Amino acid sequence: MKERIKTLLANRTILLLLLLMLAVLLISQFVPGFVSVENLLGVTQFGAMLLLLAFGQTIVVIAGGGGVDLSVGAVMSLSGVLFGMLCTKAGMGIWLAAGITIALGLLMGLVNGLVTSYLHISPLIATLSTSYIYSSLALYLTNGVPLSGFAERFAWIGQDATLMIPNQVLFVALPISLLMLYLVNHTKYGRYLYAIGANATAANFAGVPIRKIRCTNYMISGALSGLASIVMCSWLMTARADAGSGYDLSSLAVTVLGGISINGGSGKLSGVIVSVLIITIISTGIQYANLNGIWQQAVLGLILLVSVTINQLLIMNSQKTSRALKKQMVAIQK
Amino acid sequence: MKKYIPRPRAREYITILLLVLEVTVMGLVNKGIFSSINMTQVIQNAAEMSLICIGMNMVMLLGGIDLSIGGIMGVSAIVAGYMIQAGVNTGLVIATAVMIGVAFGALNGFLIAKLKIPDMVATLATMNIFRAAIFFLLGGKWITGLKPDFGFITRAKVLGVPLILFLILALYVLFYWLTNHTAFGRRINAVGSNEKSAALCGIRPDQLKLSAYMIIGALAGMAALLYISRMGSVEMQIGANINTECIAAVIVGGMGVGGIGGKSTLLGTLAGVFFISFMRNGIVILGIPSLLEYFVIGALILTSLVVDIAVYMVRNHARPELGGQR
Repeated sequence: MKERIKTLLANRTILLLLLLMLAVLLISQFVPGFVSVENLLGVTQFGAMLLLLAFGQTIVVIAGGGGVDLSVGAVMSLSGVLFGMLCTKAGMGIWLAAGITIALGLLMGLVNGLVTSYLHISPLIATLSTSYIYSSLALYLTNGVPLSGFAERFAWIGQDATLMIPNQVLFVALPISLLMLYLVNHTKYGRYLYAIGANATAANFAGVPIRKIRCTNYMISGALSGLASIVMCSWLMTARADAGSGYDLSSLAVTVLGGISINGGSGKLSGVIVSVLIITIISTGIQYANLNGIWQQAVLGLILLVSVTINQLLIMNSQKTSRALKKQMVAIQK
Repeated sequence: MKKYIPRPRAREYITILLLVLEVTVMGLVNKGIFSSINMTQVIQNAAEMSLICIGMNMVMLLGGIDLSIGGIMGVSAIVAGYMIQAGVNTGLVIATAVMIGVAFGALNGFLIAKLKIPDMVATLATMNIFRAAIFFLLGGKWITGLKPDFGFITRAKVLGVPLILFLILALYVLFYWLTNHTAFGRRINAVGSNEKSAALCGIRPDQLKLSAYMIIGALAGMAALLYISRMGSVEMQIGANINTECIAAVIVGGMGVGGIGGKSTLLGTLAGVFFISFMRNGIVILGIPSLLEYFVIGALILTSLVVDIAVYMVRNHARPELGGQR
C-alpha cells in the first residue's frame, strides 16, 4: 500500500487530476449549480492568462541555475498599459498594437535574459529589480488611473464564447498550449532545456549553448506575458497598471504544484496545465464565497509551500534509495 | 586594541563616497536638506530599515534572501499594538514582539535549512501568508492612538541628535564585532565565501542559516516596536515596502550576490541604508514623481550589481560561477 501511494505521488499528472476532482467536489458543496458543463467551461476563462504566464515561468524554472522569473506580473502590467496607450491614445489598429505589445514584452524579457545569463546576476534579484522598474513605469505612465476606450469589438476575445468555450481559451490558450507542448517535448530546444536544468556542466561539455537557451527562455516568458496582457485588456476592457500584481506568486505556485522541480531539470508541462485548472477552480471558489483577495494570496502561498515541500521530500527520498542501491551494488561486487 | 578598529573594504568606501556625493548634490539643489527637522526625519525613517538590514546582510551573505520581513514586522506590530491598548506591561510587550519575530524567522529557517526549499520560494510563500495574517488580525481597521512607554526611543534627542541614531550605531558596533571577531562570525563568513568547503571543515551551514533567519526575525520584531513608537498607529500597509528597500540598501552597500560575494559588509550596509533613506527624501524634495520611486530603486540594484560583476570580471579575468547555480 505504501509503495502504491508512493508511485501515485510520483506520477504528478494523475495526482493532480485527483486533486482537481477534489477541488471541484469541495466547491460544489458550497456553491450550488457549480458543476455544470456550461459553468465549468466558463470558469476556464479566468485561467487563460495564468496559463500563459505559467508556461513562461515553467521553461525558466526547468532550465535551472536558480532560474525564476518574478517579473511576469510586472511585464504583464507594463505591456498592458502600453497596449492601452497604443490603442486608445495613438489610435492604432488592434492587430498592429497587439503585435507591437508582444514585441515589447519580448524586449522586456530580453532585458531579464541578458542581465541574468550574460551578466550573471542571480535571476531572483535581477527579475525582482526589473519587476520594480516595469511596474513603477506602468504606474507612472497611467498615473494610477485605468485606461479605457477600447473599440467595442475588441471585447470579443475576452468576453465572448464560441461553442460555449470562452474565446480566449479556444483561440489563445489552446493553440499556445499545443505549441508549448510541442516545443518542450518534441524539439531540440526542449531537450536542451531539460539537459541544462539537470546538469549544466555536463550540458556545457556536450556543446549546449546554455546562455543562449536561458536568455531565450526569458524572452519567451516576456512575449507570453505580453500576450496575456492583451487578453487581460480585452477581458476588463481597461488597461490597469496593477493588472499583473499577484501573478508572480500564482505563476510560480502553479509551476511548482505542477511538479516542476524548483532546482530545474524535471517536471512535465502537462502537470502545469492541470495545476492551472486546479488553481483557477480554487480562486473562483474563493471569489464565489465572497472572500477578500488576500485569502487567495495566502492559499496560493500555502499551496506553493506544501507542493515544494512534497517535491523536495520526494527528491530526498529518491536520493536515499539510490544511495542504498549503490551500497548494495558495492556489497555485491565485493 | 588596534585590531578592533573597523576597516572598511574598498567597496564599502565607494558606498560611503556615494552617500556623501548624494547628500552634497541634494544640498546644492535644496539647502533645506540640512535643516535639523529634515535630518531628524531621515534618521527616524531609516531606523527600522537599518535594524532589519543587519539581519538581511547576514542572510544574503549566507546566499539567501528574506522577502517576508515586512510581514513579520506587521504581525508583531499588530500584536504589540493590541497589547499596548490592553495596557499590558511594557517589558512583556517588547518580549512578545521580539519572540514573534524569532518564531516566524525560525519557521522560515526551518523551511530553508531543513527542508532545503530555496530561500526565495519559501519566503515568498510565507510573505503572502503573513500578509493574510495581518489582514485577519486587523480586520480592515487601524490600531490608533498608541502611546507606548518606550515611545521616547524615537522622539528623544541627546545633544540635538536623535537618540535612535546612537542606538543604531551601537547595534551596528555589536554586530560588527559579532561578525568579525567571534567564532560565529568567522563561520558565517566561511559559509558565505564557499559553502561546500566550509561544510567540509566541519561547519554546519544549515544551523547558521537557521540562526540567521531567527536573528532577522528578532530584528524585525524590534523594528515593529520602533514603527509603533514612531507612528503611534498600525495599518494594513505596514512593512509593504521595507523588503525592497532593505535588499536595495544591502546590495548598494556592496554585498555581492551570485558567486562574487562572500564577505560581510556591515559598514557598507549602514551607508547603503542612509543612501536609500536620503534618496527617498530627495525624491520628495527634488520633485521627482513618487510613482517612479521603485523605478529608481530597481535601476539602482541592477546598476550596482552590474558594476560589481564587471569589476569582478576585470579583476579575476573570469566570469563568476553561472549566476546562482546550484
